[in-house]
Amino acid sequence: MSEMFDKTTSALSTALNMRLLKHNVISSNIANAETPNYHAKKIDFEEALSRALDIDGLRGMSTSHGDHFAVGGKSTKVSPDIYENPEGAINNDGNTVDLEREMSSLAENTIMYRAALQLINKKLAALRYAITENR
Amino acid sequence: MADFLTGFRVSSSGMTAQRMRMNTISSNIANINTTRTPEGGPYRRKDVVFESMPEVKNFGEILGVNSPKADVQRVQVTDILSDRKAPLLKYEPDHPDANEEGYVAYPNINLMEEMTNMIQATRSYEANVSAMQSAKDMAMSSLEIGR
Repeated sequence: MSEMFDKTTSALSTALNMRLLKHNVISSNIANAETPNYHAKKIDFEEALSRALDIDGLRGMSTSHGDHFAVGGKSTKVSPDIYENPEGAINNDGNTVDLEREMSSLAENTIMYRAALQLINKKLAALRYAITENR
Repeated sequence: MADFLTGFRVSSSGMTAQRMRMNTISSNIANINTTRTPEGGPYRRKDVVFESMPEVKNFGEILGVNSPKADVQRVQVTDILSDRKAPLLKYEPDHPDANEEGYVAYPNINLMEEMTNMIQATRSYEANVSAMQSAKDMAMSSLEIGR
C-alpha cells in the first residue's frame, strides 16, 4: 500500500527548497561581484538530499515488529553544505566572485527548479486523473 | 528556510549599489572641467565604497539574539570617497580661477577610466537584473503548482 504523496513528491519539494536557497546564495554572489574582500559562496545539497532520502536503504534499521523503533533512514531534515568557493581566483581587491560562473549556475539552477516543478505538476496531474477517472 | 523575498532583496541591493556607482561616474564625467566647487578648489573625483552585509531576516537577528547566517549577503554603499590626487594645472592666465602664476587647477579625471567603469557598472547592474528575473520566474511558476 503506497501513500498518496510518496517519497518522490517530498523529495521534489525538498529539492525546490534547496534550489531556492541556492538561488539566494548565487544572487548574493552576483550582488557582491565588486565588493572588496568578498568571498564567493558555494552550496552543495545533492549529497545531503540523497542521504536524507536514503535511496539505497542502507542507513535505516528495519522494523520487523510493531514495537520496534525505526532508527535512521528517512529523515526530513536536509542540511546543505555552504562554504567559501575555493576554486575562484582572488582579484586585486580580494574578491573571488567569477561572474560568468555565477551567471551560468544561475541559469542552471533556474532550469533545474523548473524541471522539479514540472515533475511535481505531472505527479499531481496523475493523481487528479485517478481521482476524476478522466471525467 | 529559504524564501524568495531574500533573493529579491539581495538582487535589489546590488542594483541600488550599482546605480549609485553610476551616479558618481556621471557626476565625475559632468564635472571633468569644473574648477569651482562650494567646498572651494576644483571638483574632486568621487568613488563609491561597496561593503557586503549579512541579509537579516527577523527581529532576533536585528537585535543580535540570533547571529545572522553569513551565507546570503547583500551589498551596500557605505561611503563615497573624494579623490585626493593632485589637480591638473593648466596655464590659463586669463581664467578667473587662475592663481598668481597663471595656472588653473582642473580635476584630475581620466575620461577613459570613467567610461570603462561605466560599462562595468552597467554590466553588473544587468547581472543583478537577470538574477532578479530568474527569482521572479521561479516564484511565478511555483504559483502554478497543481494547476
